[in-house]
Amino acid sequence: MPGIVTCEVKMHQEVSPGHYRLVVHSPQLAGEAQAGQFCMLEVQAGLFPFLRRPMCFERIFKDSVSILYKIEGEGTRLLSRLTQGQTISIQGPLGKPWPLDESIERHIFVAGGIGVAPFPALAEAMIAKLGKTPEVILAARTESMLLCEEEFHQMGCKVHLATDDGSAGEKAFASEVLTRLNPGTGTMVHCCGPMVMMKATHVACEALGIPCMTSLEAEMACGDGVCLGCVVESTIEIEAERMVRVCYDGPVFESTLINWAAY
Amino acid sequence: MGTSVDLSINLGGLKMKNPVTVGSGTFAYGQEYNSYFDVSRLGAVTTKSLSLQPRAGNNPPRLVETPAGMLNAIGLQNVGIDVYLKEKAPWLREHGCTIIGNIYGASPEEYAELAQRLEAEGAADAIEANLSCPNVHNAKTARGCTLVAQDPELVKAYTEAIRAATKLPLFIKLSPNVIDIAEPALAAEAAGADAISAINTITSMGINPETRKPILSNIVGGLSGPAIRPVAVKLVWDLSKVLKIPVLGMGGITNASDAMQFILAGATGVAIGSYTFRHPTAAMEVIDGLEDYCQRHDVAKITDLVGAMEV
Repeated sequence: MPGIVTCEVKMHQEVSPGHYRLVVHSPQLAGEAQAGQFCMLEVQAGLFPFLRRPMCFERIFKDSVSILYKIEGEGTRLLSRLTQGQTISIQGPLGKPWPLDESIERHIFVAGGIGVAPFPALAEAMIAKLGKTPEVILAARTESMLLCEEEFHQMGCKVHLATDDGSAGEKAFASEVLTRLNPGTGTMVHCCGPMVMMKATHVACEALGIPCMTSLEAEMACGDGVCLGCVVESTIEIEAERMVRVCYDGPVFESTLINWAAY
Repeated sequence: MGTSVDLSINLGGLKMKNPVTVGSGTFAYGQEYNSYFDVSRLGAVTTKSLSLQPRAGNNPPRLVETPAGMLNAIGLQNVGIDVYLKEKAPWLREHGCTIIGNIYGASPEEYAELAQRLEAEGAADAIEANLSCPNVHNAKTARGCTLVAQDPELVKAYTEAIRAATKLPLFIKLSPNVIDIAEPALAAEAAGADAISAINTITSMGINPETRKPILSNIVGGLSGPAIRPVAVKLVWDLSKVLKIPVLGMGGITNASDAMQFILAGATGVAIGSYTFRHPTAAMEVIDGLEDYCQRHDVAKITDLVGAMEV
């Protein structure tokens, strides 16, 4: 059940230019959160910013959770000033988690830039609950935007790097790297990143005949399925279900459920 | 909490145990926020606008944050009256909620049918007719936004049609986008409305200078949140001066102090809107805060404060 908790900041540091990791103490969130879910952070008291900021759980520890984010605007810039020992109001956990499918033999993560944020928790859950170690394709515009490589290595994951400018790993798109890994029957892809990248990954998975889960991001007001502000168009043709809520029906969706034509 | 304060109100025939409800569209159908507080504590739950058929609403993007508020063009996405009657209303009834059923139709006949069905099924205790949603016209083709609530003759015709279809207390929800809000309000009153709900969102828009494109796919949306509160308080004051029927005031309320501005301006009831998105327990805190206000000011009945601004 989602709730609102006031959490103490245990650690908050810049891990790469413009990218921060926030660790907050909350046995409640840590006890309830599942990989793929998210929470709504109150940046500060008062009316600016007016809305909370939705962010996924990067890792879920025994009595704390970590959040990995990128400064995108004024809200995240203000958030980055929060220091150890201060408190922050967090609403959650919210949304549907990544599915953990025991019948799948091979799991491949496709992460684009800050889209890597929900994957460390998923890798840990897969290792602990399924006994399967996922492979990870880490893609970004440039080397400094490749995050979490060390964490995945520590978990024993095979990591494939790709950058748009060739500054690290292959100079290729993540979907091209995915296709070269020859994923066959029994493989499931889990993807999070820019919409164009998830679309390309979805198309590649369709061609390969393998399932693809995508974790979407959207501006949202409530995070609870109420405001209907964060919807994306689905492939469902029933009027009542044509628009799906990223916050409540997702953020994790089977890629075939999303109408990618607009992206 | 003391029990000495009487927070109950009679809003155009709707008995509420306290003056606090929620703005249509900010509380879905009630159930969603029950994990944060007991929603039956509300004076009433106001539903998302219900239409005869389910609506998918506008294309995204539909929402953007603004200074002290937000801009939305949801376009009345809703489950439709059938699903509401089958799945949503029973939950509200089981949990002892008083229900204001908000309705939206494309014609007076549709509004009348919606009101009649809600009454026949016992699925609402009052009807709030949304004659003022700014987001159901395509701004690319329509000349500006024309709303029923902007034309007193149309307000009269729609109100008469709904009035003839139901005996439930009937609230007409008006738009701030008019020269004189008294005109549509008096038209509604003359046609048999029992209360006026004010205000709906203020029509507005945003443009991304980098892409030169509108921020909302619908181009135009509705502004809500504390940014619009002073506008709403003033319009409620305007209404209270001319109407015999009560006003349900709303627009940017975040706490009991904000709610008191509306009550002192002449609102009998108040609705918490967008701020619930930021702070899901806001409405409950307003109820507690109103009781505290009355105790601090030695007021026995909240209704003694309606329109009690001292000038």
